[in-house]
Amino acid sequence: MSRWKEWIGMINLAINGFAVTVEDGSTLLEAAQFLGFPIPTLCHLEGLSPYGACRLCVVQIGQGDRARLVSSCTYPAQEGLRVWTASNRVLRARRMVLELLLGSCPQSKTIQDLASAHGVRQQRFRQEQEDCILCGRCVRMCREQMVAGAIAFRGRGATRSIGTPFDRNSEQCRLCGGCLYVCPACELRCTYTDAPERAVCGGCANLAPPCAEQEGFDHMMCYMNPCVACEIPTPEPQPGVPS
Amino acid sequence: MPRLNSTRQLRHLRNMLQSDRDRRSLHLTICAGTACRASGSAILLQAVQGYLLQHGLVDRIALHATGCHGFCEMGPFLLVEPQQTFYAQVRTEHVAEIIEAALAGEFVEHLLYRDPHTGRICYHRDEIPFFKHQQRTILGMSQQIDPSRIHDYIQHGGYAGLEQALDRGGDQRRAARDPQFGGNGSSQSADSAGRLPYPEGPYAGSAWVVDQVTQSGLRGRGGGGFPTGRKWEMLARQPGPRGKLLVCNADEGDPGAYMDRSILEGNPHCILEGMLLGAYATGATEGIVYVRSEYPLAIQHLNIALHQARELGLLGKNLLGTDFSFDIQLVRGAGAFVCCEETALIHSVEGRMGEPRQRPPFPIQKGIDGKPTVINNVETWANIPVILQQGAEAFAAIGTPDNSGTKIFSLVGKIKNTGLVEVPMGITIGQIVHDIGGGPVGKAKIKAVQTGGPSGGCIPADQFALPIDYETLAQAGSIMGSGGMIVMDETTCMVDVAKYFMNFLREESCGKCFTCRKGTQRMYEILDEITQGRGTPEHLTLLEELALVVRDTTMCGLGQTAANPVLSTLRHFRDEYQRHVVDKRCDAYVCGDLVGAACQSACPLETEAWRYVALVEKGRYDEAYCVIRQANPLPSICARVCDRPCEQHCQLGTTGAQSVGIRAIKRFVTDRVAPEVWQDERARGAAARGREGPAASRPVAIVGAGPAGLSAAHELTQLGYPVTLFDTEAEPGGMLLSCIPAYRLPRDVLRREIATVLQDGVTLRCGAQLGRDMTLDGLFADGFGAVFLGIGAAKSWQLDLAGEELSGVYSSMEFLKAFNLRGEEWAGGAVGIIGGGNSAIDAARVALRQRQVQGVRLLYRRTTRDMPAFAEEVEAALEEGIELETLVSPVKIRYIEAALREGVQVETMVSPVRIHARDGRLVGIECVRNRLGQMDASGRRRPVPIAGSEFTLPLNTLIVAIGERPDSQPLAEMGLEIDRSGRLVVDPRTLAASRPGVFGGGDLVTGPNTVIDALAAGRRAARSIDRYLRGLPLEQPAEIRLPRVFVEPASGETEADGEQPRIEPATIPAPSRQKNFVEVELALSAEQARAEARRCLRCDLRFTRPAQEGAPCHAGKSGSA
Repeated sequence: MSRWKEWIGMINLAINGFAVTVEDGSTLLEAAQFLGFPIPTLCHLEGLSPYGACRLCVVQIGQGDRARLVSSCTYPAQEGLRVWTASNRVLRARRMVLELLLGSCPQSKTIQDLASAHGVRQQRFRQEQEDCILCGRCVRMCREQMVAGAIAFRGRGATRSIGTPFDRNSEQCRLCGGCLYVCPACELRCTYTDAPERAVCGGCANLAPPCAEQEGFDHMMCYMNPCVACEIPTPEPQPGVPS
Repeated sequence: MPRLNSTRQLRHLRNMLQSDRDRRSLHLTICAGTACRASGSAILLQAVQGYLLQHGLVDRIALHATGCHGFCEMGPFLLVEPQQTFYAQVRTEHVAEIIEAALAGEFVEHLLYRDPHTGRICYHRDEIPFFKHQQRTILGMSQQIDPSRIHDYIQHGGYAGLEQALDRGGDQRRAARDPQFGGNGSSQSADSAGRLPYPEGPYAGSAWVVDQVTQSGLRGRGGGGFPTGRKWEMLARQPGPRGKLLVCNADEGDPGAYMDRSILEGNPHCILEGMLLGAYATGATEGIVYVRSEYPLAIQHLNIALHQARELGLLGKNLLGTDFSFDIQLVRGAGAFVCCEETALIHSVEGRMGEPRQRPPFPIQKGIDGKPTVINNVETWANIPVILQQGAEAFAAIGTPDNSGTKIFSLVGKIKNTGLVEVPMGITIGQIVHDIGGGPVGKAKIKAVQTGGPSGGCIPADQFALPIDYETLAQAGSIMGSGGMIVMDETTCMVDVAKYFMNFLREESCGKCFTCRKGTQRMYEILDEITQGRGTPEHLTLLEELALVVRDTTMCGLGQTAANPVLSTLRHFRDEYQRHVVDKRCDAYVCGDLVGAACQSACPLETEAWRYVALVEKGRYDEAYCVIRQANPLPSICARVCDRPCEQHCQLGTTGAQSVGIRAIKRFVTDRVAPEVWQDERARGAAARGREGPAASRPVAIVGAGPAGLSAAHELTQLGYPVTLFDTEAEPGGMLLSCIPAYRLPRDVLRREIATVLQDGVTLRCGAQLGRDMTLDGLFADGFGAVFLGIGAAKSWQLDLAGEELSGVYSSMEFLKAFNLRGEEWAGGAVGIIGGGNSAIDAARVALRQRQVQGVRLLYRRTTRDMPAFAEEVEAALEEGIELETLVSPVKIRYIEAALREGVQVETMVSPVRIHARDGRLVGIECVRNRLGQMDASGRRRPVPIAGSEFTLPLNTLIVAIGERPDSQPLAEMGLEIDRSGRLVVDPRTLAASRPGVFGGGDLVTGPNTVIDALAAGRRAARSIDRYLRGLPLEQPAEIRLPRVFVEPASGETEADGEQPRIEPATIPAPSRQKNFVEVELALSAEQARAEARRCLRCDLRFTRPAQEGAPCHAGKSGSA
């Protein structure tokens, strides 16, 4: 029956138990999206090549001892693969990824919303305030869509960063702003802490501190305890939270 | 060099080289590997060359500079062949001596390698344990050839594997042409050049090569362990219209691992041959050696090798006149650790950033520039020629069925013989560590090995019986990796190790995957918090959660294994983490912020040793006394009998010099200063502080007036409780009185010190035994609020031989008690003592002093080194004679040495089997000799009796001193929990026993132990009792004990001088000790004490500042007393 599928390069796999047939070369993310299973993503952007940096889109493949997590945005669909997009292992990993993201970049609305949606309520690491999660969207945007290649990754490990060569103004850069446009960390950066009038969303400035009103907590952006984005200390920090 | 045009010419060349071998009678070999060059082999080489030229010996002696021999610890060395004489750590001034001896066919004995364990001289290289236990197939080749001469390689059988494969191809071609050879020539048509379409694989002999490699069972040596044959087969089947590639991965980045470097430097041609065979088998057209720029010598030798091979026609187009073409180029990596991961390596070769990418597609489908690529490790390639030369079956027979062949490990760390070792797979870790590695380098026991580099894990010493293969190591939570093996001993802190590797990975992660980049950074942060004493149990939970997620969610091998250092140390050494987090202690004395001054944190009583040593240096002896007395209620006693944990951890001692003689300084102070200084000071201090009394001063009963009981009584009276002290004997003192002989602890000192403790309102009730004269219920009914049990461990273990009830056979405890308490001399004639612990030595020395005794013989079942009395001693020093040892470490060695000097004979490696008696009286004992067997749980080799070696010793007295245990039967009857060795079970932190209000400490809880530990237990229990009686929770959070009081460092001209030798207190000469109990050890003089104190490194100054100066121990008094 499936000879014609093979012939035109179609692949059968099962996602959360549902059979799906996708074109050869599709990724697991595309296959899951085709079936309508939600998979959170951060570094993925349609129109840019998949990169697999943020690890938020992990799904479980394989069975038993051989089960493992892979990033769905980069893993190619393979014949007969069984995929689980929301197993406990996947959810646990996603929550930890979000907690790590919050520890570095608490002011990003995208990250806050994702964390909120996944029920991440606390952040146990030493708080950092970074501007960038090195997801590489801007790099790919610049290179692939703007065909400029003005910025790229530099360094490795803890000292990795994004920028122009030697931090000089780039002749390749056309100041198109595409990099800013696609940035998930700074697109709606909450600047309340330095200047309330410049706050993009104004959420913190306009609302009473959310820790005071526990209801509707999930829909607000500053839902964390203690609130690190706005740095409004809550009366009592939760016990068992390392400083 | 003429180009070779056929395999026949190659064979001819080899035959010529072999028959034309160097006929000179003597060959000198010097290792020219990087490690030996660093230790001076280049200079040595010049010196030897110079000597040979000067003396016109060039015709008689050949000199070779070869690749690495592996014994890097002992470099540079000189190997004289054909005798195989191995001279280690040779210096240029030795050259003349060695060459002259070699010409005369003799040895220079004092330069030969000596087995550090036995002291035996090794005349032949293969007698050296390091070489004896290895199977050196690959390394064995590099130590024979000059890496810069292709002819050396060919002469030693090089390129024979290639020749064989090409010949076989030729045969098959012939076979295909000629049905007589069994081929099916008719079905295939030859082209004009006589070449055939290949039946299986690109060339005629391809299938055979792949088959050989598959049959051999070789698995990838880079760490993954993927079967090489299968990989090649996959590549051979892969269509490669644009060509296929082979890569030799020489990007060796693990800290402490250098086997790949050594192979490339020592024998580059074996890699080339391996790759040629790989290309022949798979149809690859291009080869790449990806080598780190940090290996300049390897690059140089590789370039030479490539050049020579091309010139000889062994590389390039239609090599050796066949239709097979292959060339290799060198690509230098810039040193990123991640580039040893295959997809990152591909990016790097392509000229892009070294970042892994998603697999699939695998490199074998889409590799460098999209061409199918096979990437194998250096060691894998080096094994290929071996397989073809030895044959697949012979190779598969080495090692275990699933893990064939040999594996090279780089053995480094806290081990005697560091270097490269090559062993068959399946050998145990213990064999590598103990037999080849020679065991621990210092006094500390080996705790674990770390295998597989930063991505690997730690394997604890109790699992050293595990065989080394891919699966077993993975199950134990580690990996084979490329073969790094770092040995760690008790001075290595596992939290610190995890932190070190996390720091490495944090910098070497490529940073693409968020969880790897941030995860390693966060794990490092948490570990850093823990090592600085700010860790909480929640940190451990978070660390483990994070580590598991990092392992799960990252893309490449680096990220997936990055959490291994954390996970494996958490798995095997969780208690060490707990000690850091809960008790705020680092038992390895590595984490500086937890240790403070090592002498202080090593002391169970937390005596500020650094402080009184510094005060002695200044001549402020009264203050020094107060510092000692503040922590220790029995300072004069401890100044004589303490086992000195402070000196064992003294930083001066652990850095190679001799530790400060802290106990001798303490003895000086306690001998010199009158105890009243402390009484005055305390009275003044108490008045100033206005101490609040305890809320309820209910009386406390203390059972047992040994050190633990006395210490508890002292502490409780200080806290204001009325104390009643019960003891079975007629006099307080416990073991101090009944066991420790007077020549170590004079009785007047003992009695005076105990009296000072008792004078503070302690009611003493002697002759009262728990169970016989009183019960716990009775004590509580009498109104005591709490009971402290410190009845010690005074019941001797028995031999379990018939005849132990005979007259003339005693336990050491009975024997010592009879003499020390009542003055009865039980020993006479020939005395035998069985055991190797402290009480055995005590009994021996006491017996020697008794009037009727003629001779004393100590019988011990293990070696002298394994004697418990030696337990914490420096093993390395042992081999060099006892004198050195006494310097590095404390009492016990000198103590045994003293017994030896006094005339005690020691017989080791014997076990008693039968007691001989006549007329109900002992006449002798029959013993059997032992040999050493496997390591047991205590890290010592188990003694195994040798059948038929029994011998009889005539004896008049036999003292059994094989250990003691508490006599705790009455306690069990009173409902207290007792363990199998008879010890009282208490909470280790609060010392509370299973019944409320009852506390225990000292030998009753620990089994036979030191005085200082008993004192500490007494004090700790007293504090718990105080909290118990005041209704407070017993458990208290741990505090870090850092130096707090600033004491001026020594002035300029008397700069702290650790290089001066340690000053040992004098002892009275052996002849004047005969048959008397005069104290043997004398005190230091004031000059000696101050000079010794000046040696202190003053670790405390890191933590104190002049401004922080708190109230000194007693106000204002300075200057000498």
